[in-house]
Amino acid sequence: MVDLSTLPEEARQAVERLGSVDIVVGIPSDEDGGRIETVARAVSAGLAERCGQYRSAIIHADGGLAGGSRKRLPALSLEDTPLIRVPYELSLVHRLSAPYHGMPGRDVAFRVILTLAHALNVKACVVVAPDVGSHSSGSVGRLLGPVLQDGYDFVAPRYHRHRFDGTIVTGIVYPFTRALYGKRIRQPLGDDFGLSGRLVGDYLRQPVWDTDVARFALNLWITTRATCGGFRVCQAYLGARAHAARDPAIDLSTMLSQILDPLFTDMDRNNAVWQRIRGSEPVPTFGDPLDVDAAPVSANLQRMRESFRLGYQTLDEVWSQILPPTTMLDLKRLSRASDRDLLFPDELWARVLYDFALGHHLRVMAREHLLGALTPLYLGWVASFVTQTESAGADEVDAQVERLCQAFESEKRYLISRWRWPDRFNP
Amino acid sequence: MWGQLREILNQSAIRTTRAVADFLPGVLAMLVILIVTLVAAVICQVIVGRALRRIGFDTRLQLWGFPTLADWSPSKSPSLLLARLAFWFIVVLGALVGLNALDAALTSRLVARLFGYFPDLAAAALILLIGPLVARFVARSVLISAVNMQIQSARLISLGVKWMVIVLVAAMALEHLGIGGVIVLLAFGILFGGIVLALALAVGLGSKDMVSRSWGRQANPSQERSDDVIHHP
Repeated sequence: MVDLSTLPEEARQAVERLGSVDIVVGIPSDEDGGRIETVARAVSAGLAERCGQYRSAIIHADGGLAGGSRKRLPALSLEDTPLIRVPYELSLVHRLSAPYHGMPGRDVAFRVILTLAHALNVKACVVVAPDVGSHSSGSVGRLLGPVLQDGYDFVAPRYHRHRFDGTIVTGIVYPFTRALYGKRIRQPLGDDFGLSGRLVGDYLRQPVWDTDVARFALNLWITTRATCGGFRVCQAYLGARAHAARDPAIDLSTMLSQILDPLFTDMDRNNAVWQRIRGSEPVPTFGDPLDVDAAPVSANLQRMRESFRLGYQTLDEVWSQILPPTTMLDLKRLSRASDRDLLFPDELWARVLYDFALGHHLRVMAREHLLGALTPLYLGWVASFVTQTESAGADEVDAQVERLCQAFESEKRYLISRWRWPDRFNP
Repeated sequence: MWGQLREILNQSAIRTTRAVADFLPGVLAMLVILIVTLVAAVICQVIVGRALRRIGFDTRLQLWGFPTLADWSPSKSPSLLLARLAFWFIVVLGALVGLNALDAALTSRLVARLFGYFPDLAAAALILLIGPLVARFVARSVLISAVNMQIQSARLISLGVKWMVIVLVAAMALEHLGIGGVIVLLAFGILFGGIVLALALAVGLGSKDMVSRSWGRQANPSQERSDDVIHHP
């Protein structure tokens, strides 16, 4: 039984009026503006064009930051598709938090959308982030098609990004989740995804909604839950990924903590699953990679290398509580290498991350300290990755990423051994 | 007259003998109690030490994040420290019992004063136990944050912060114990002020590059866009 009592009266009435629909498209936002109207109209046009034979509805959940008072959403009506607009209140925790994705209270918006979708008994639900995609009318269709026509439960987005864009995903989250959970979902931190009705119900039943996992890393949890929960997963090309304006208060260290803390915490929760998985398999990918130009990205390599070297000189005592002596020796050699030779071997990077995950699991120190200490190492890896790929072709970059993932998979035995018998490998 | 003198000397000798005879059993009782106490204390030290070593107390303490205790323990063994504490606790207890056998009133006054002092002692012990942990935690937080901000003197700043907290903790503990009085307060003020000054210099000198970059960005906003715009997540 779905609890709608916390939702506004207008939303409950809309649900009663609609009864049930086949498709819901949810648009979460924290500040309404003309942008939402553009996105909603594009979504409505896409639904009419690609899914005209299905009954659809659009749900716009808006938190706003209007000092605690409920903002009245400006009027908006769509010709083709019923629109349900749900303002929700942000709690103090949400107002004070500064998540890396830039939208406090996004977990509340998602929960509202999923609750309404479940109440409407949908066959498919799509959630689109209004600020990170150029939402053509085709995007929604690409996320819905695999669910409605091919019976998939989860459709992850596959964006076209510049090679240096999303380095946390390229260097950590993708190889890590691929090695752990055995599915090659290229962008596990995507902001747009398609869900089956069955999966929507499963998400709502999980006890994660009032935790930091939901507040800071909901997207990651959504992906790993679908992967570990026995659901059919796939991905779909969605084109280039635009970025919201960055919140200047979010530094890299905080960002890494917000992403990696739930990633490592999930390892604890799913440890019975990932220890049995060996290797990985590709997931079906729908659509064609669109020929769009990803925005160019520049990188200050010198600052990253200096950060890594300073990290080694100053944090060696902290790192030696997490990393074994052989790894420390390798890092020492890297810190003394010239700029062109500061190249992280893939196996070393994999072992470093696995050791940090293990340190997180064993609580060798306060988790904030452990995750903060990873930042210089990450910057060293990014500098190494940029050096290796800046003049390479797209295929070579993909091959480089593939080699990195293979290293994570081959070093998984190391992780499992240390996870099961930590005392034998205590640095 | 000689008879009276003899009588007085006899009386004096008798009183002295009686006083010694009254006192001697108490002394003997005290000695017996002390010997028994010493034996019991040694046995207790051995038992406690073996029990703690059997459960791997030293290693567990390291894993639980208390390496400082090992540094301050004899032979870097907290097990040995606890065993010795148990030994001295029983010895002190036995000494009090022995004093009671000697002079009950003296012991009562001593015990009353000790019990009156005990809350301050306990508070000081708690402060000294928790203080170094807090100092270590804060120092490490500062160290990691300073490194991530690329401040070159991160280690110096971290050390300064650690000693600032330790000095504060020591002053609080001494104040609770009532030791030193104004001298401790003055010394604390001078030390604390000195450390703060050193930290200010370290932060100012160590972060001058960061500050100049920040001013440069404010003066020329377009420079930031060409510097480093990797979008990490």
